[in-house]
Amino acid sequence: MTGKAQYFIQGIGMISPQKTFDNQMFLDEITTYDQNVLTAVVPDFKAYINPIQLRRLSRMLRIGLASATICLRDAGIEHPDGIITATGYGFLDETEKFLREMLEMKEKQLTPTHFMQGTYNALAGLEAVMIKCMGYNNTYVSKGFAFENALQDAMLHLEEHSAAHYLVGSYDEAAAVQFIASIRENHFKAEPIVNLNLFNTATKGTIQGEGAAFFDLTGTRSENTWCELRDVAMVYRPETKDALAASLSDFLKTNNTSLEEVDVWLNGITGDAVRDVLLKALEHSDLKSVPQARYKHLCGDYCTATSFALWLGASMLKKQSIPEVVKGPAFETPKEIKTVLSVSHYMNRNYTFMLMQRV
Amino acid sequence: MSQRVFITGFGIITSIGKNTTENLASLLHRRCGFGELNVLDTIHSRTLPACEIKLFNQELCELAGVPHGKGYTRTSLLGLIALKEAIQSASLSPADVREAGLLSGTTTGGIREFERHFYELMDPQQKGDFAQFADTANPGEHGERMADAVGIKKYIATLSTACSSSANSIMQGAQLIKHGKLDRAICGGTEALSRFTINGFNSLMIVDPNHCRPFDNTRKGLNLGEGAAFLVLESERAVIEKRKTPLAELRGYGNANDAFHQTASSPEGTGAYNAMNLALTMANLAPNQIDYINAHGTATENNDLSEGFGIQTLFGGAVPLFSSTKPYTGHTLAAAGSIEAVYCLLGLQHRTVWPNINFHEQMPELSVSPVRELKQEMDLKNVLSNSFGFGGNTSSILIGLA
Repeated sequence: MTGKAQYFIQGIGMISPQKTFDNQMFLDEITTYDQNVLTAVVPDFKAYINPIQLRRLSRMLRIGLASATICLRDAGIEHPDGIITATGYGFLDETEKFLREMLEMKEKQLTPTHFMQGTYNALAGLEAVMIKCMGYNNTYVSKGFAFENALQDAMLHLEEHSAAHYLVGSYDEAAAVQFIASIRENHFKAEPIVNLNLFNTATKGTIQGEGAAFFDLTGTRSENTWCELRDVAMVYRPETKDALAASLSDFLKTNNTSLEEVDVWLNGITGDAVRDVLLKALEHSDLKSVPQARYKHLCGDYCTATSFALWLGASMLKKQSIPEVVKGPAFETPKEIKTVLSVSHYMNRNYTFMLMQRV
Repeated sequence: MSQRVFITGFGIITSIGKNTTENLASLLHRRCGFGELNVLDTIHSRTLPACEIKLFNQELCELAGVPHGKGYTRTSLLGLIALKEAIQSASLSPADVREAGLLSGTTTGGIREFERHFYELMDPQQKGDFAQFADTANPGEHGERMADAVGIKKYIATLSTACSSSANSIMQGAQLIKHGKLDRAICGGTEALSRFTINGFNSLMIVDPNHCRPFDNTRKGLNLGEGAAFLVLESERAVIEKRKTPLAELRGYGNANDAFHQTASSPEGTGAYNAMNLALTMANLAPNQIDYINAHGTATENNDLSEGFGIQTLFGGAVPLFSSTKPYTGHTLAAAGSIEAVYCLLGLQHRTVWPNINFHEQMPELSVSPVRELKQEMDLKNVLSNSFGFGGNTSSILIGLA
């Protein structure tokens, strides 16, 4: 952003295929997967959602609402000014249930539960009811840009009201329907691999992941601040590595910084031999001398996987450590981690940058 | 310095017309799109009539100027037709388009094609033409399709807040312009009828098999519809630079949440009140400066009561003229906000207030009633358009003469 406003992450709730829901931990235990589908490691939902409500909720709504609660508790706030969510495929399991029922019952005698819980804004709506948040409410569903759209939406509001707090969240589930429908496009690898070996494969496709994350974004710094989110940018279908590099260079320049100041960059490669080509070219040229961390072997690939990158970067900056499991080629953790850059892509179409700073 | 946001063009397709001219003629002659379904194949084609566009996808491809058989869903096709008309109407150059943002609202993306080919798509061994629709369960797919078809690169966002989606895409486009992120944003939404949607709303028991009657005491629910509309928003700077005469100014907008229930509005219309009030505050206008409200007015028992109370609370004893145009087009869900914004723009341009068709019996709970007859030669300066949705989303946009 070019305005004078600043943006700080004051709280995080992250539920992913790793045990990330506990903010005291930082990838201390690693879960491995060998079927190309990574599913969320979930907390005991009763600690976050009342039992009567819990019974009526789909798995993904539970995950989403729990991560929102973890975030609010972490941030130490009860009443955010708005809720903005992002998703690629939404609650596709619920959509599938309603769709199958409709086809099997030949459009007769249907019940609305799965239809209601399948709408993309169901999480933002339910969270609003749960915490009685009558303020701003929006939901983005723009594939690999959805999460960045949501962050940018909150940032524009913070330019207007710096004391406000926006609960910005993302969710995507490892839905079987998506997995099967995208086999034809080689979105996911045909041969089963162990997730930790993702970057040592030479085949087409990636592994499917999921997760829900919420961030409390505000315009003022506090004791609870994880880091500053300096800026977010999106690049749609860059045609060449040079075009992508030029966009990155503009992004850094706009934010009065350069690659020399970046302590570590988060590489959003997916292990797909074809779709990673541009980002790998950037990795081996412009970003060659910057230490890198990778993460999609831990969370899998999904439309809003950059929320995992934001959690990872914020955690590095807050905890001043870099777990060995994310280091690309091994490197010595810098004495002080001040600046983290995320460069990611979804399906070689949606490229995004995020710049995070220690406070 | 924040930029003022102007509207310099628009495009529309609904069951009452495949472009602006046809929509205007239908509005003036009280022609509604309600009737039996014969393009969509559903068992409800006679029992649950809706406002369907009587064109098959092949014909839509021709109107949209794209080849048939290349994976364009009906949602994308309707969107493209409106989008291209909008681009033309605002006289945007290819360079303008490339540097513009596209913000589109949808409730279900390409579910119509996905449901049709579901079993084939779920069997990876099968091959055939259906494979072009493999990714149509993704709501963002249509946004990228449309952007690719017209050459938009700079900014893409797809929004989904149920029935307020396109109102929110207009708002977010305005935000991006206001804060200098974009000079041009093409904003709206697109919605195709599908079995998924018809059966979903039917399972909630809020579809009226007869023609809907917004704000009428005998109302029994909504009629579904399909369509798309896009508005071209431009910054003050862009308008001055190109010496354009804007059609109108987007003066204010408000987004709030009712925080009451997942699929129902609060009986007192708190969210509706808040959204309209925010729009007025941003525009720095008093309630008595609003000349017309295009109500959300879905004709469900719940919406019209809640919205009616919200309007009465905000405007007190001086409620402006208001009407719901849903009987014309049906409830076009994600596209409703932008379609009705276009009707507001047509109203301003032609100094006309559109009638609330099918209103006969006063709701005893309300002290106000909607406009029944077409009103012409009206002195309109500022109008509000409301869009509310599941999930408690309430949005209101305020359009004024430039």
